[in-house]
Amino acid sequence: MDGLLVAHGLNISFEIVVLALVSLGLAITLGLLGVLNLAHGEFVMIGAFSAFFVQSQGWPYLAAFPVAILACGAIGWPVEKFLIRPLYARPFDAILATWGLSLLLREMVEFFFGRGFNSVAQPIKGTVNILGADYPAFQIVVMLAAIALIATIVFWFLRSVTGRRIQAMVDNPDLAKAVGIPVDALARNTFVAGLCLAGISGVLLAPIVAVHPSMGIDYVLKSFFVLVVGGLGHILGLVIGSGVIGGAEATVSAIIDRTSGYSFVLILSLLFLWRRPNGLVAR
Amino acid sequence: MVWLLANATFAGAGLFLLQFVVDDFIAYTLALYFLYAIACLGVGLSWGQAGLLSLGQGLFVGVGAYLSGLSLIAFSDQWFLYPLLVSCCMVPGALGFGIGQLIFRGRTLNGAYFALITLGLVLLASLIATSWNSVTGGFNGLLGVPGLPGLDGFEHAYVISASALFVAILMVAWLLATPLGVLWRAVAEDERRVAYLGFDPNLLKSVALGLSGLLGGLAGVLYAPINNLVTPDLFGFALSTNFIIWAAIGGRATVYGPVLGAVGIGLLTVQLRETIDYWEIILAMIFMGTVLYFKWGLLGYVEPFIKQILIRSTAPLTPAPPRNPTGVGTLDIKGLELQVGQVRILNDLSLSIDAPGIYCLIGPNGAGKTTAFNAMTGELSAQSGQMSIMQSVVASPDARTLAQQGMGRKFQVPCVFDALSISENLSLALWTARIDRPALLGFEALQWTSVIRQELERRFPFLTERSRLVRDLSHGQRQVLDLAIVLCTEPRLILLDEPCAGLSKAETQDVIDTVQWAAASLGATAIIIEHDMALVKALADKVFVLHQGHLLAEGTVAEIQGNEKVKTVYGGGSK
Repeated sequence: MDGLLVAHGLNISFEIVVLALVSLGLAITLGLLGVLNLAHGEFVMIGAFSAFFVQSQGWPYLAAFPVAILACGAIGWPVEKFLIRPLYARPFDAILATWGLSLLLREMVEFFFGRGFNSVAQPIKGTVNILGADYPAFQIVVMLAAIALIATIVFWFLRSVTGRRIQAMVDNPDLAKAVGIPVDALARNTFVAGLCLAGISGVLLAPIVAVHPSMGIDYVLKSFFVLVVGGLGHILGLVIGSGVIGGAEATVSAIIDRTSGYSFVLILSLLFLWRRPNGLVAR
Repeated sequence: MVWLLANATFAGAGLFLLQFVVDDFIAYTLALYFLYAIACLGVGLSWGQAGLLSLGQGLFVGVGAYLSGLSLIAFSDQWFLYPLLVSCCMVPGALGFGIGQLIFRGRTLNGAYFALITLGLVLLASLIATSWNSVTGGFNGLLGVPGLPGLDGFEHAYVISASALFVAILMVAWLLATPLGVLWRAVAEDERRVAYLGFDPNLLKSVALGLSGLLGGLAGVLYAPINNLVTPDLFGFALSTNFIIWAAIGGRATVYGPVLGAVGIGLLTVQLRETIDYWEIILAMIFMGTVLYFKWGLLGYVEPFIKQILIRSTAPLTPAPPRNPTGVGTLDIKGLELQVGQVRILNDLSLSIDAPGIYCLIGPNGAGKTTAFNAMTGELSAQSGQMSIMQSVVASPDARTLAQQGMGRKFQVPCVFDALSISENLSLALWTARIDRPALLGFEALQWTSVIRQELERRFPFLTERSRLVRDLSHGQRQVLDLAIVLCTEPRLILLDEPCAGLSKAETQDVIDTVQWAAASLGATAIIIEHDMALVKALADKVFVLHQGHLLAEGTVAEIQGNEKVKTVYGGGSK
């Protein structure tokens, strides 16, 4: 019984950590650039397909990370230049354009890889025993990697010169430009970095979930809920938001069923939009 | 009216003649895409008019289709089948209205959030449809749905959906031409301004979403008997995305754009999907190109011209009915405290006006002048203090109620409706506290005028160019139009925030004269924030000087100029 509880706890923690990682990428583009990128989930999907591609070529799993980063960068760079940049001033149209982009990416992946479900083998086999529960070793590694990644990015953002420049750009783009910060390049790099982060999340998730062209929708929606609940102001919001959304969905799904878990999260987000539109941790 | 007749003839003849041109298979395919076109008209209504981008139109189609499918299976031979099917259309309509009321209630919601909520809802519906096996048939859906009794032949499909599409087109053409349509377009552009004209933007948006749901529901209700099956695919995000793409490419703000998009692209897809593998990719790119460079879609650049030729705004204007009774333009503020973050903006502000006239509010930058206006109209809420506006105590002011009672406010930056014509801008103001619900759906109110409007048109002749779009006006003209909108509501308490900012000397004089004339002829109180002392001298019956959120002095211009405290503040001397 105890072991079962621990396993449940680990499952929920896993959901939360993964959600936080995926949401971080969305938070970067929405919070820093003001663009709600509806194609964010498709970059998670591209990351997952990178892992699938790498495996089908017989390369080692770790090779999927550079492949995913290259793929997301190669797509993200022109996307920023031709699609997003003209729309920074028209955020509402940016939603539409990224919705179109998500469709395009889905169709393109479908064109090359087909519509079906694929699976990626877990690179680390076996389980570890944690407090009496046998838990897949790979999922533990993913959790630790995700936490390390989030911590590194946040630390870097708060301490580095580039992080400061991004903060300046977000605060006042015109003034930032006037003091010599290359705002256009900075915005592009920030956007592409957010996409690459989604791609990396996809690589980490690929061995655990079903890999198919439409897998992204779920992630973008859930990440959005995380940002609604947590707010855009602070990394703490992201963590709390992921905790609330990931935790609530996993718990309710485990107790009742998936539909209830999803409905619960949706209703919760609606309540937040009414009562606390800035989220728990306001900017 | 001419417009409606033209629509009826065009759509009716087109749909009737089309069946003779095509073969049976295409006629049947067309029947299906006509239903999609009906749902797509709903997208045009909510998104193209009221600015609500719904990524979940499939929700309404699906709900309609499941309800209709279940009704047909259970009550196929009952006399009450047809009334039941009609109510199956109503349910998605009510659902749309209800969702609108829930989502929009209380707060002004960011458009992006609305889009994602609708996406979330349609995904939820999809989950329910696939998991609630006993009712929905799970993944397989409802199989073997019987056709409509008496109309269940293969050949009837075209007639049924063409007739439904005809009705839907007429309904949309009619709605778009009414004052309600104007209000929707105004809400899409500037919700806050609409509230300041005494309308409820949330109600307007909910109605648009409800009607959009009704059209989606109609499509779904007919989909079940024509296809003889209902699957959870209707709730899939792919179909909902298609509605957006069709409406965008066809022209979301027009009547025929969504129809052309749904039927045209739908048929193309049917033809090309087999031969060109990457057709869907091309379509996605066309959609993105439309969003970037061709915002209003194919017909968005054509239909307005045709409409203008058909209905020239030469119809004679008729006098508007008198507006609902208004209060007296008095104001009594006591001990108002307002703090935003760490900054205390209003500091024990007390101010009282008990007779109509022109009052100027002056003070250095940061004195709290605009904030005082914002506190009075509910933009910001004061932490403590009492306000009595137009003789009634107001605990939590809101712009819409105040506008209904006779308050008008002009913001510092001109807030006019760019996408609407001059006439529509002025009409919106004439409708404030005058138009009732039936008139919102008629055409008479579009031709209303009033003594005030006529006098304004005499003073500023550009206001008579009725069909000219406001986006083509100069800054000075926009300032004047904004003022004209405020005055056309015939307010008793007029708040003006630097009405002459950015105007030339001649324009400034015209505005001063107009404000004096309006205040006198309406018997209104005008409170004007102004920096230009020459203007203040010309206008003010009485001056209030604000300093650091507190009333520093009040009196006539001469008294203020002789006041030592005021001199210190403005002269930069020590406190």
